[in-house]
This record gives sequence, C-alpha cells and structure tokens, in this order.
Amino acid sequence: MGAECCYEVSQIAYIKLVLHALKHPSAAVNGLLLGRLRQDGAASATVEIADSVPLSHSQIGLLPALELALMQIEEHFEAKGLSVVGYYHANERHDDEELGNPGKKIGDHIFRYFPRAAVLLLDNAKLAKLPSGKGRDPVVQLYTRDSSKSWRQAGSDGSNQLTLKEPAANTVLLDYISSEKWQEIVDFDDHLDDISKDWLNPGLFN
Amino acid sequence: MAGAAEVARLDRLETQIENGGGGAWEYLCLVRKLKARRSEKVLNHGLTILNDPKARSRLGREEWTLYEQVAIAAMDCQQYDIAKDCIAVLSKEFPGSIRVGRLEGLLLEAKGSWAEAENAYARLLENSPLDQAIHKRRVAMAKAQGDLSGAVSLLNKYLETFMADHDAWRELAEIYVSLQMYKQAAFCYEELILSQPTVSPYHLAYAEVLYTMGGLENLQTAKRYYASTITLSGGKNTRALYGVCLCSSAISQLTKGRNKEDKEGSELQSLAAEALQRDYKQRAPKKLPLLVSMLKNMKLN
Repeated sequence: MGAECCYEVSQIAYIKLVLHALKHPSAAVNGLLLGRLRQDGAASATVEIADSVPLSHSQIGLLPALELALMQIEEHFEAKGLSVVGYYHANERHDDEELGNPGKKIGDHIFRYFPRAAVLLLDNAKLAKLPSGKGRDPVVQLYTRDSSKSWRQAGSDGSNQLTLKEPAANTVLLDYISSEKWQEIVDFDDHLDDISKDWLNPGLFN
Repeated sequence: MAGAAEVARLDRLETQIENGGGGAWEYLCLVRKLKARRSEKVLNHGLTILNDPKARSRLGREEWTLYEQVAIAAMDCQQYDIAKDCIAVLSKEFPGSIRVGRLEGLLLEAKGSWAEAENAYARLLENSPLDQAIHKRRVAMAKAQGDLSGAVSLLNKYLETFMADHDAWRELAEIYVSLQMYKQAAFCYEELILSQPTVSPYHLAYAEVLYTMGGLENLQTAKRYYASTITLSGGKNTRALYGVCLCSSAISQLTKGRNKEDKEGSELQSLAAEALQRDYKQRAPKKLPLLVSMLKNMKLN
C-alpha cells in the first residue's frame, strides 16, 4: 500500500484498551478496534478508530471466543456504520516489546476484510512514564501490514501516523487510572463467564 | 480453580472490609485457599494485622503463615523492603528452613536477579532434590525471561518425575497454546482428562483446542467434549453451549453435500441454541437479538 494513511484513535477506544490491560496486569489481553475509513483526498485517507471492544485475558491463541466475538461485534457495530478496522494487544511480560504470532495471526484475519487494518500494541515503557511526562503521544505502537505481508511498526519509515483524536486523552486516562476505573471494565471473556456482564461497557465513562 | 461462588464470597469480603465491617483474617485465609492473586489488598490488610501486636498475637502460630503471605504479596506489588522484612522475621524464627529459602529465591526473582535466584534454587535443590515448588520456580523464571521453549522443556522434564501434578500439566498446555502448538496442548488436556475425568474445565479446554485445530475429526471430537462439559456442569456452561453451536456449524460446512448423518447431532445443536436463548432472555436481554441473529446465520451455513 503506497498511499498515505493516517490512523486516528478516539479517546474512548484508547482509554478502554489501556484500562483493559491494567485490569489484568499479569496476563496478555487483546481486543478489537472499530471504526471507519475516511477518504481525505485523492491520495490520502484516515482510519478513524472510533471504539474498541475488549476481548480476552486468557488463552488468547484459541479460536472459539474470538469467532463468537467477531460475529456479534460486527453485527452490533454495523448498525452504527462502524466495522472492525483493527486489533489491540498487550503482552504478558513488561519488557516484551514485540508483536507475537497470536497477535499477527488475528491481525492477518482482520486484514483480509480491511486492508488498512491496524494493530495497536501497548507500549509498557511509555505507559510507565505517563504520570511523569506531559506526553501527548499515545502509549501504543502502531503496526500495519506492508507490501511484503509482514506487520511492521509504524514510524520507522515516516509513513502511517498514529494520532490521538482528543489531545487531552492522556490526561483523562491518567485520571481514570488514579481512580482505578480499570476495575469496572468488562471483556468478552467476562461475558462468557457471566452473560449479565456487558462487553459494550455502557456507562463506563459516565 | 476457584468456583464462581467462592470468588463472589471473596469479593463480598473485600467490600465488607472496605466498609469497615471487618473480616480481614477470613479474607486472607480465603485468598490463600483459592490461590487468588489479590496482592494489593492482601498487602494492605495483612500489614494492618501484622503491625498491630495484639492482632498478631491473636493469630498464634498462623502469624508465620501471614508473614509468608504478606511477603509474597509485597513482592507482587514491588514493595521489596516490606518483603525483605517479612522474610527476615521468618528466617529468625525458622533458621535454615527451605521454605524460607524459597521466599528468598522468590525475592531475587522479583527483583530480576535471575542468576542469583538460579544459584539460590540450585543450592536448595542440593539438599532437597525433590522439592516440587523449587523446580516450578525455575520454569517460572524461564517464562518470566521470555524463554518459552526453555520453560516448555523444563516443564516436560518436571512432569516425567511428577506426572500427577495437574497444575503443571495445565500450565504446560497454556504455554503450548500461546506458542500455537495445539497438538501438544491437546495432549496435555488428554492427560488431565484421563486422570480427572469429571473436572469439566479440562473437557472444555480440550474442546476449545480441538476446535482451534480444525478439521472434521477434531471438530466432531470437540463437539463431544463440549457436550460432556455441558453434562458435567449441569447445562450451565455458556462457552460449552456456544461451542456446540460453533462445531455444528463448522461441521455442516465441511460436510455440505455429503449424507445427512447425525440426527442426534442436530438435536444437540437445537437444545444448545435453545438453552442459550433462554439464558440470554433472562440474564442478558439486550444481547438477545445479537445471539438470535448469530444462531440464524450459523444454521443457514
């Protein structure tokens, strides 16, 4: 894909994924990114990541829960004009900065339906520095698939920028972290254990 | 593996303590029993008791268990000084104890001093070569350093000797899944089902791995194990009910055009679908339309 493509993450999507990771500090977590493609001109486009749905905090390499979630999430968000545009992942270990194979495989699957699919990998080092810095940078790394079909980290060649839609997102995030908001977040795994728990997390930010 | 009811009790106790209703010691005992990982709360409530001489003396000999529990919780919260102090108290009371030696090794691990921890454990193993906990710490260290294949080979070696250690089989299965080595993971679950045939989580995990592997035979076996999970769990396991539907749908896709076998199979799928819809109607009515629509799509396939 030679065309320029930007990725813009909304506050809701961004905060949910970080909170999800914080709720399960000793496990890998993942989730889906929902959004739409916005054509900005003849040669450039932006993928608007409008929302995210937390999926799992255990046995990420297994298919059944992923398939169920994809079916139900796609259907739900179709009505809102959004589709699955990417995937997020947070590694189990603090110093693991690579996108592992399970994440790549899920990314590949999403890529088949949305060629500008984004994979966001939580950057633990940046997350740890968040309270001290005045960072406007998102605490995630963006991966996209290049022409050689491998997932590459964005920024290494200047293209495929990731920005936060709301500039104060990190401030809001820090606020939620200090109030331990991550305790309330529900993922699809939690729903399967207790269906009264809602993976849409309505009212999380009220 | 803690049941939902016990976890609920744990949560209730947590809230109770927060609201000043007491119950800290009961909470700490339950956390120990369920092997739950609630280190911040354990550290908080445990220290409150330990720092109060009267409360401490009321514990009698259980005082030492609490020191151990608080030490581990402290390490999990990166409060290494507190951990060190607790270990010092235990060391004084139980000089030369291997159990205390393990805690010292654990603290080295927590700080990331892998080589020193490895040495500490090697020394302890010299005197107690069959100490299972220490062998497993070495697996944990490999895993913590990102050496999953090392962890796998250590675990396999461990299981040659300690083949009845169910936790170890489960851990190995989970590592295999994370490495996408599904056949090997399936083998582990087979071992677990053979030794504990009425534990439904093993049937469920086995089914999920088989489904992931795919292929007609695996899907048919997966469906059987989803079914046995449903039986063993009194029909209440949502994942297993969904699993039956997923398997049926995948199987019918693979056998399109072949003879319609398995009338029993389609009954099972209908029952599972009905059970899911009943449950959602009662407990998650907002999600019912999505479920119904999904089931419809799966049947059409």
